[in-house]
Amino acid sequence: MEQTEVVKPETLDDLIKILHSIFESDCINVEEVQNLMESYESNPQEWMKYAKFDQYRYTRNLVDKGNGKFNLMVLCWGEGHGSSIHDHTESHCFMKLLQGQLKETLFEWPESKSHGDMVQKSQRILQENKVAYINDSIGLHRVENVSHTECAVSLHLYSPPFETCQTFDQRTGHKNSVKMTFWSKYGERTPFETTVSQENN
Amino acid sequence: MESHERAAAVGDGVLDFSRLGLNTLSVDSITDRRKRDTKQLYLNYNRLGSLPSSVTLFFNLEFLDISNNGLSFICEDIMRLTKLKTLIAKNNRLDEFSLPKEFGSLQLEVLNFSGNRFEEIPLQCTKLLRLQSLSLGGNRLKSIPAEIENLTSLEMLYLGGNLISAIPPEVANLPYLTYLVLCDNRIQSVPPQLTRLHSLRSLSLHNNLLTYLPREILSLVHLQELSLRGNPLVVRFVKEMTYDPPSLLELAGRTVKSRNLLYSPFDLPANLVRYLDLASKCPNPKCAGELCLMITFECLIMGCNGCAAFWLNTNQMNKTWFWLSTQERVLIHQAPVFLL
Repeated sequence: MEQTEVVKPETLDDLIKILHSIFESDCINVEEVQNLMESYESNPQEWMKYAKFDQYRYTRNLVDKGNGKFNLMVLCWGEGHGSSIHDHTESHCFMKLLQGQLKETLFEWPESKSHGDMVQKSQRILQENKVAYINDSIGLHRVENVSHTECAVSLHLYSPPFETCQTFDQRTGHKNSVKMTFWSKYGERTPFETTVSQENN
Repeated sequence: MESHERAAAVGDGVLDFSRLGLNTLSVDSITDRRKRDTKQLYLNYNRLGSLPSSVTLFFNLEFLDISNNGLSFICEDIMRLTKLKTLIAKNNRLDEFSLPKEFGSLQLEVLNFSGNRFEEIPLQCTKLLRLQSLSLGGNRLKSIPAEIENLTSLEMLYLGGNLISAIPPEVANLPYLTYLVLCDNRIQSVPPQLTRLHSLRSLSLHNNLLTYLPREILSLVHLQELSLRGNPLVVRFVKEMTYDPPSLLELAGRTVKSRNLLYSPFDLPANLVRYLDLASKCPNPKCAGELCLMITFECLIMGCNGCAAFWLNTNQMNKTWFWLSTQERVLIHQAPVFLL
């Protein structure tokens, strides 16, 4: 096995370049990607242009399309903003805190027949610059900015890229397919057709 | 080093003195022109202890951020900033006794006091008639004063992370309110008057002590975001049906359904036929299943064998369908309803 060099990306552009070359291969080493993303030290000057906030809910801002191998995006969470419980459509999901903190709650997949409360597995608070990883075999999660005073910004990498996922009602396990949209792409606001939020919970 | 030498003037009219460890604000070496032209002043993350009176020399100031300074009061000097529109004072030690008496006369549009020690919303704050956005998240508020209704320009009200146990109906008198955040409190009920908040787009109620919701909340037609998780929402079985008896239409519908009466469109009045038709196909767009009557409990509840969903049909012809969890039993008219 080849010895991969440990490269520390100095800038966000650096990180993107290295990600492009890593994802040339079809085989993803989760630890490698996680360490790489963690070693990038968040510099707001580099990602500020992607960090567009919405008053009402968290936003997804596309940074790079990874030559079709991955989607890299910046998520902006206002005070109190949170996501539904969701899956990752059989893709890898890496999430790095660029600013502030996010709470991640892991859930078991609901049994197909049961209709009770979903089972919570664990919960943690992710600190700045840390990277979390999840995929469908690990479980489902809810991500929230529980701060009432600070915003949070996170960098997400999904591979392969996906446009729909499922959201789950915590009380019943009932699921719903949701189409995911971008608030902005490459730093430009992209108003989508207005759809009602599908993440009420 | 003089503070202004290290400050980055990031653009016209913006002075950034944040994160400089300042104990005081010395503006001696700032030109008169600078003092006049500065519209935005950042003083957050310093050690000011109190609002420096030298701030008033920036007499055209519209935006002031004094967050994270350990401030325990804001002195009268702030009243001299007559053009101030935005005041951000997060993460200080302010409480309801910290504000000058005349604070309500400022022309503020945005006020952020999150992360302080307020136990009450100070009355001065309820006099800010131009206020569009108010945040008191992460304080120690026990209640919301009825005087909140005086803030007739208010569009955004953030009160998450407090100790609030009830929402006064006066909140419903804020005609432009679009964003109401009440998560992480101790709220036990939601006043039905909130249905009057026609502009409400986002309502955050997660992590409270709600056991039920009034049905009226569902007529908030512009509501696009609603969070209810982390509430002990339980269905209450109310025996009395004195306040809102079922309509004739409803009774007729139930009779047909519960006795499985066969009918053709010519046998029944057209409106009853329409009403019964509503209850035949599953409203879940993902499911084309047939509905069957599952539980009566004196209301029209339909179950779908296709998607295992239970639906409550309210007694309005506009057919508002709500999906119910199988473990919950419902009684109409006082029916707690749950949104998916």
